[in-house]
Amino acid sequence: MFLAWNEIMKNKLRFTLIIGVLMLVAYLVFFLSGLANGLASLNREAVDKWDADAIVLTEESDQSLTQSSFAADLVDSINADETAVLGQLNAIAQTDDQKANVSIFGIDSGEFIMPEVTEGSAFTSGNEVIAGDSLKDDGFKLGDTLSLSSTEETLEIVGFTDEARFNAAPVLYTDVETFERVKFGEEAAGTDRQISGFVVRTADLAEVTDEEDLAVIETETFIESLPGYTEQSLTLNFMIYFLFVISSVIVAIFLYVLTVQKISMFGVMKAQGIPSGYLARSVIAQTAILASIGVVVGLGLTLLTGAFLPSAVPVSFDIPTMLIYGMVLIVVAILGAVFSVLTIVKIDPLKAIGG
Amino acid sequence: MAVLEMKQVKKSFGTGHKKVDALKETNFHAEQGELIAVIGPSGSGKSTFLTIAGGLLSPTNGEVLINNANISTLNEKQLSKIRLKEIGFILQASNLVPFLTVEKQLKLLDKVKKDNMDKEQLEQLYKDLGIGDLRGKYPSDLSGGERQRVAIAKALYSNPSIILADEPTASLDSDRAYEVMELLKEETKSKKTTTIVVTHDIRLVDYCDKVYKMVDGVLELQ
Repeated sequence: MFLAWNEIMKNKLRFTLIIGVLMLVAYLVFFLSGLANGLASLNREAVDKWDADAIVLTEESDQSLTQSSFAADLVDSINADETAVLGQLNAIAQTDDQKANVSIFGIDSGEFIMPEVTEGSAFTSGNEVIAGDSLKDDGFKLGDTLSLSSTEETLEIVGFTDEARFNAAPVLYTDVETFERVKFGEEAAGTDRQISGFVVRTADLAEVTDEEDLAVIETETFIESLPGYTEQSLTLNFMIYFLFVISSVIVAIFLYVLTVQKISMFGVMKAQGIPSGYLARSVIAQTAILASIGVVVGLGLTLLTGAFLPSAVPVSFDIPTMLIYGMVLIVVAILGAVFSVLTIVKIDPLKAIGG
Repeated sequence: MAVLEMKQVKKSFGTGHKKVDALKETNFHAEQGELIAVIGPSGSGKSTFLTIAGGLLSPTNGEVLINNANISTLNEKQLSKIRLKEIGFILQASNLVPFLTVEKQLKLLDKVKKDNMDKEQLEQLYKDLGIGDLRGKYPSDLSGGERQRVAIAKALYSNPSIILADEPTASLDSDRAYEVMELLKEETKSKKTTTIVVTHDIRLVDYCDKVYKMVDGVLELQ
């Protein structure tokens, strides 16, 4: 630590440059993780809000909520702690001057997937909806009447709720009857309720249903099979993992060059009897100092940038994830220093004396 | 009591007809408080002698004893400890760490070894060597003579029993060279260390108690 710190203080410019590079790598890692997290929640936040263990869809829907449709009275065959009915439909909602992709959720207001209203009130009669508050950014407001692309029915926004996006579209929560009218037309109302799935909370997924036509899908699996979700998160995570490798290599190269420049100095120290272990620890400590400063500054910069970004950019920072990534960055940087440590151990003190 | 003793020490490099005897069979001993010079032209084997004495190089044959302990059979890690504890090196090229101030050059030794000089002794050392005002400076801010004096301070600070100096005056003009030798002599007498100076500069022999001459790997007392 003594050698490490004193060297940094003496050669401020040189080490500032290294810290700068590490900071940029950390910045990129943090930003990508924010983007990955933001894009993920764009797809999944409405599902996360259910806090459910699984969803029951028809076998033939192939884990797609939109493609699943069955009669609501199948609820009798479901064995779970809590069960909620869910009808789902994608639509374009528009007012006179706004248009948006939406996902309509038909639910029973007494069941556990009913969202908390953050503004306005809950739906009480037909054709009223609670809208995801991301629609507010698009200019929608309480009392707006929405006409839909696929039907003559119109919906009225009576309330807003937060964290309500499903597969990147804001959710409109309404009752199952309204959902049926929108999806199947006026004549469908009053017949058997047709829904898309059951959302369940249970400890034992295997026991949920023995209906052959129904499939029980774990929540996480359900999310991963949302269109584009897995591809998106794989791409971003791959970039992040690659950045870990890059930062390790960068540190390895920088430190190696610095170490090679100091070979004769290390040799002299070794001749004087200063143990290799002490010198090696000093290089490791130095790397840890540089990487830590880089990561902390990178983190600060990321959060600062996040505060100034327009809301259209889907970043959301998950601090625990970022802390883990920061730690990983420091660890891979230290791995990069191993090269230099090996070099130091191999230095022959005799050469330094010129004997 | 002999602080440093060499018994039938030999060092050869290479094998077969390329074999070179850098140091022919040598017997040598140095007592406490002695300042010894080893002179000879370059390539005569005096650096080999110094590195063997300092535990940096193992002899091909023979024994090297420091304070009656045989160091010829030790491994590199053990040798490193002996060097740290028993030997102070003053090297031709200044052996200072470029990014440490004079004060911290010495402090570095505290990080790896106990029983160095205490505060009072250190202040006296600064005074003796006339480098008290330089303690906050980096080696690059010092003149050649100042650097060499700091190197001496560094060698003495760990209270070694032997000081090995390899051409300590090489980069200095005559006045500075005499000054450095004078200092080495004083410190050797007052600290009761054993100092061996390897040099090709015969002007320095006046300061020494004993002078050895190295010619083609053979060490002879003058």
